[in-house]
Amino acid sequence: MLFPMKILVTAKRVEDPESKIKVKPDGTGIVPEGLKYKINPFDEIAVEEALRLVAKHKGETVVVSIGGKEVHEQLRHAMAMGVDRAVWVNHTGPLDQMAIAGLLKKVCEKEKPDMAILGKQSIDDDQNQVGQYMAEWLGWGQATFASKHESLDSDAEKSKTPALVVGADGKTVKVVREVDGGLGTVECTLPAVVTTDLRLNQPRYAPLPGIMKAKSKPIEELTPAGLGVDVAPKLTVLKMSAPAPRKAGIKVPDVATLMQKLKTEAKVI
Amino acid sequence: MADPKNQSSFMSSLCFGSIEEDLILPYPQMKQPERETLKNIIGSLEQLLKPHEKDFRVWDRAGELPPAFIEELKQFGLFSLVIPEAFGGMGLSATAYSRTLQEAAKYDASVSVTVGAHSSIGMRGLLLFGTDAQKQKYLPKLATGEMIAAFCLTEPGAGSDAASITTTAVKEGDHWVLNGNKLWITNGGIAQFFTVFAKTGGVGERGHMTAFIVTRDLAGISTGHHEDKMGLRASNTTTVHFDNVKVPLENVLGEEGKGFKVAMKILNSGRTGLGGGTVGAMKKLIELSTKQAKERVQFGKPIAEYGLVRQKLGHMVVECFAAESAVNMVNHFIDSGHEEYAVEAAITKVFGTEALWRTADEALQIAGGNGFMCEFPYERMVRDSRINRIFEGTNEILRLFIALTAMNEVGGELKELASSLKGVFDNPIKGFGVLSEYALRRASLATSVVKREKGAFTKLHPAVKEKQEQFQELTRDLAAAVDRILRKHGKNIIGKQFATKRLADIMIDLFVLASTLSRVSTAISEKGATACTKELEILEVFSGQVRRRVKSNFNKIDDNDDEHIKSLADHALDAEGYTWDNV
Repeated sequence: MLFPMKILVTAKRVEDPESKIKVKPDGTGIVPEGLKYKINPFDEIAVEEALRLVAKHKGETVVVSIGGKEVHEQLRHAMAMGVDRAVWVNHTGPLDQMAIAGLLKKVCEKEKPDMAILGKQSIDDDQNQVGQYMAEWLGWGQATFASKHESLDSDAEKSKTPALVVGADGKTVKVVREVDGGLGTVECTLPAVVTTDLRLNQPRYAPLPGIMKAKSKPIEELTPAGLGVDVAPKLTVLKMSAPAPRKAGIKVPDVATLMQKLKTEAKVI
Repeated sequence: MADPKNQSSFMSSLCFGSIEEDLILPYPQMKQPERETLKNIIGSLEQLLKPHEKDFRVWDRAGELPPAFIEELKQFGLFSLVIPEAFGGMGLSATAYSRTLQEAAKYDASVSVTVGAHSSIGMRGLLLFGTDAQKQKYLPKLATGEMIAAFCLTEPGAGSDAASITTTAVKEGDHWVLNGNKLWITNGGIAQFFTVFAKTGGVGERGHMTAFIVTRDLAGISTGHHEDKMGLRASNTTTVHFDNVKVPLENVLGEEGKGFKVAMKILNSGRTGLGGGTVGAMKKLIELSTKQAKERVQFGKPIAEYGLVRQKLGHMVVECFAAESAVNMVNHFIDSGHEEYAVEAAITKVFGTEALWRTADEALQIAGGNGFMCEFPYERMVRDSRINRIFEGTNEILRLFIALTAMNEVGGELKELASSLKGVFDNPIKGFGVLSEYALRRASLATSVVKREKGAFTKLHPAVKEKQEQFQELTRDLAAAVDRILRKHGKNIIGKQFATKRLADIMIDLFVLASTLSRVSTAISEKGATACTKELEILEVFSGQVRRRVKSNFNKIDDNDDEHIKSLADHALDAEGYTWDNV
């Protein structure tokens, strides 16, 4: 028999990597005009995995996002994919990874999920820290960079089988992780924090009936003050700058010249 | 705004010289919840269609959207867009629907036309005229795509002249018997639900037709092979044949004998869907062309740095913005319950389809030789966009429709004015004495027809004042021209297609400009002029283009070559060709 699971997932609002991102001339941030936003792709993978687990085990999924009212878009997106309900931590202004982990920890204490599944990082600032902080502060097990054995073209993937395996007693989860040079497997006691890597699953798109259903799913509003979390940043971004444009390459007449240049100029051989 | 239902259309009023600014100001914006839903729809649609980007080219060549892909569209819910929520649909507003079609059109015109033919026309009659029982019976199935819809009006001998159809329906006991052939029916081969128009009057009763709901399960329906077309090749187009099809009495759509009106209403309300599609395709072309211009290097520089390439790109942006403004405006008319939008909807169709044609042509030109190669998307987009100027009302027919319908009210008032002044002639002693016909014309011109109230905007932002004044001047000129042309031709205007087309072109330009003016002014009011410098530039360019075109059209009312052109056409017709070959 399978034990029902309650799973909490996150849905951070990030800039769509396909929109043209420009740094403000004074380096204080990026130009927001004309940008498109979407759910952090790693979080989308987390949502997908949670939905697959709950499809198998039954139970409930809850999605959390932190930000102004605009993050409702991402919450609705996750609910359109199939998540049951949403928690919105209403906050505008900069947040560092400690503040985010602190807020999510409080939400977890309130919601008491069996598992929190997060993207391993968000594609805007690529910090890769929130899941780790959270697990530490909650005193939960953690399994980062969850991946899978099979390829994303496999039949298991096509039949939307979950890659995370929950123990028969409902007390542990087995997670395949991507590590340098291969895959490793860890087993955690539940509740646990799992962060997702790119090759865990292929997220579904939200069908239109799902989008309709999401309109009436509840969004609960919380605030940092209400949760008792001090979100004053301990880490501030001083300056942003665009990477220097790549220099144009050169053409070499023959292999001999190439070898010579690789040795003397590029100094790579 | 007064009761929107009782108002004249914006363009009818404009023909009197009145600018009904409350109809177009402020520029409409979607409400937040719907915007949120729409963003989610667009995001999902991208996830659905993007993985198929390479397939679309293959399916275009093969001339078919594979059944498995149609199934995917059904599962996604793409056939439910305009169906009310109560019947299992998305219940999208005209604005949101049009924006969704735009997104589909960015990827593949065959997809947007398959969905558009279903939603915009195929089942539109059921939405507009269906009884509750009919809606209960069919809408839920149409929403899931279990039934795909097709609109069956065109026949081999009845294209633009829809009233001349020969398909017949004869009442026999508890059913109608339907016989006839329909041509070029989009979705014909994959549809289960057909909105069919058939003659129900006697011989000589032209235009007496009735609309029917016909479902695939009825015996006697067959469809021909999939037509081999220039563009929209993957969209299903077939003939549909009705051979003694017994249609139940309750399948009459709308009133018996009122089929022509049903057909026109469906087509009027469907036109903004097509307008939306053209805007989507233009956006895609701008994206492709800018990338191409930056990548392609000639004479040591990317071609984006050359004036003649930038000129094309700049014009594309202006046309897209203008077309989008007009499409959004008409969708707003529909969503706010304003019923008089047929002229404006036709304007968006004509302007949008022609702007897309120019844009597609120029995008192909920027791509140069690559544009001519099937490996690149340009030639397909050119082929796909050509039909837009022909179907859902040819742009020629729509031009006549636009001008004649918009002028209709002025014509009506002129008639009244003339008859009220007639009393003066009958009894000159009591009146003004003998008035020459010339004086009559002057008198009525000075009375009320031209000089109406609301000759000026009062709510536009001061930053667009110069453009506002130009628009007002052009409006006065339009009213004077309408007045003069109607006086000159009277009801014979119907036969004066050269003159009518000129007026239509003026009206098209003015409505699109009014929409653009509204949009830019509203943006400035919200964000301030410094944040809207690009919008102001667009307005500067478009307003200038319109002013020059309209002035030129006004001049041509008196100074033209119409008679020579007609004579030369006669000559060619007579010779059935060109007669100056020098060999």
